[in-house]
Amino acid sequence: MTTRPTRQAKGETGAVGAGQPAVRLYHVSKSYSAGHFALRDVSLEFGRGEFVFLTGPSGAGKTTLLRLVFAAERPSEGQILVLGRNAPRLGPRAVPPLRRRIGVVFQDFKLLARRTVEENVAVALEVVGAPRREVRARVFAVLKQLGLQHRRFHHPPSLSGGEQQRVAIARALVNEPDILLADEPTGNLDHELAVEIMDLIAGAATRGTTVIVATHDMAIVSRYGKRSISLEGGRVVEDRPAPGGRP
Amino acid sequence: MRRLAARMATLLRSALRGIAASPLTSAVAVVTIAVTLVLVGAFALLVANMESVLRQFGDALRVTAFLQDGLAPDAQRAVATEAGQLAGVEGVRLVSPEEALERFRRGVGRGAALLEGLSENPLPASLEITLAQGSRSAEGLARVAEAVARLHGVADVGSGRDWIEGYLRGVALVRGLGIGLAVILALAALLIVASTIRLAVLSRRDELEILSLVGASRAFVAAPFLIEGVLQGVVGGAVALGVLYAIFRLVLPGLEFGLELVLGGVAPRFFDLREGVLLVAAGGCLGSFGAGVAIASEPRP
Repeated sequence: MTTRPTRQAKGETGAVGAGQPAVRLYHVSKSYSAGHFALRDVSLEFGRGEFVFLTGPSGAGKTTLLRLVFAAERPSEGQILVLGRNAPRLGPRAVPPLRRRIGVVFQDFKLLARRTVEENVAVALEVVGAPRREVRARVFAVLKQLGLQHRRFHHPPSLSGGEQQRVAIARALVNEPDILLADEPTGNLDHELAVEIMDLIAGAATRGTTVIVATHDMAIVSRYGKRSISLEGGRVVEDRPAPGGRP
Repeated sequence: MRRLAARMATLLRSALRGIAASPLTSAVAVVTIAVTLVLVGAFALLVANMESVLRQFGDALRVTAFLQDGLAPDAQRAVATEAGQLAGVEGVRLVSPEEALERFRRGVGRGAALLEGLSENPLPASLEITLAQGSRSAEGLARVAEAVARLHGVADVGSGRDWIEGYLRGVALVRGLGIGLAVILALAALLIVASTIRLAVLSRRDELEILSLVGASRAFVAAPFLIEGVLQGVVGGAVALGVLYAIFRLVLPGLEFGLELVLGGVAPRFFDLREGVLLVAAGGCLGSFGAGVAIASEPRP
């Protein structure tokens, strides 16, 4: 296991100090049953504004690592600092405010079929009680940015896979999160669409968001030339920095 | 304030969307609550009417003390004065044997001819004792009747005590049955509402997962279901009130004999505004408790 030096990119918006990483894992292990580890003694740092790929075969622990970061799981051992908060120790009331600063994108999109594109994206703002006019304006802005404004009154089942994933990315980005997690975001898409989606995700990193993408698509990883962490059997087997030290 | 209003609007929209998404299960919850409240409300209405009968008869409650034969008019007046000073007595009227006979004659109407053959007046002088406000109950009546019976010159005492006590027992029985029925039906309704809300929770699990992912608090996730329960309850309560009113207006006039038996000559009354609001609010409470039970049994996201 390896650790990387802290990177600082985005302006401070919370409890995290300017020089602190967005996510830090200290000797984290996670087991779902005795003797079977999804993650084993993982220590990593993800800097602010950094774009990182998590790679490895199915069952390597990529999804578990992401779930630990957005506090959907607690580690069996070790500590995780997310935006300066000790995620495993957060009570039920403290988890939602943390999640509002983290956008998550899944391979299966997780969109609400009965709601329009606009309503799907608006959900992320409604939970923080944003006024309706503000919700509409921000949703329209993010949909326009992702080229979906003409589809805002459509329902997800009438959209293509690439469009659905763009809606999911819009929902993840509309809150301008500090961290964007993407779990196999291009898994259901052909290569051309996958590149299109990855460009949108990479765009978030250029605006200062820490982006962690779990993927087993090595063509995508090599195309972007970013730091990549390889997991196998729950262990970090390689942490390859971005060529030229770029974030 | 704007954020709170926006959040409330969002929660209400979400609740209405939930009802629209599963109209059949929502209808089941509404009908269950309505049936429960129609039955409970019918008992409450019966008890309220029987109690108003008691209040009305209370105004006419009196003790009649029959005086001993041969008591001199002065002695009769003395007994009347003494009775008037007893606790719980509002007024005393001395009824002479002649007046009593005259009343009896008027009372029997055409049969009065039979009284012509009487050689002497068989009716005794009596005291008609009306009760003070605080004594117009079965207990008050008993207290005054016992005190009057102890007066010198009183031969016998008559009162409607047995009837009042019987009627009170009837009211208590109906009230007890109503409360028992209310508890059983409310529990059944609670479970049914909880099940329908739980079905709604299960059918929207994907939505709950997404809400949780984007940082919705547990209260934000639970509130639409609570609102849904309250709305179903309030609608159920309103339906029950409407059904009871329809029964009261359309069916009761056909039950004159039965009503006469239970209420005497007293005109039946419907719920007043406060009682009507209470019935609808009871529906809202049932709905919210049912939803609360369903949400509490749901694991945290």
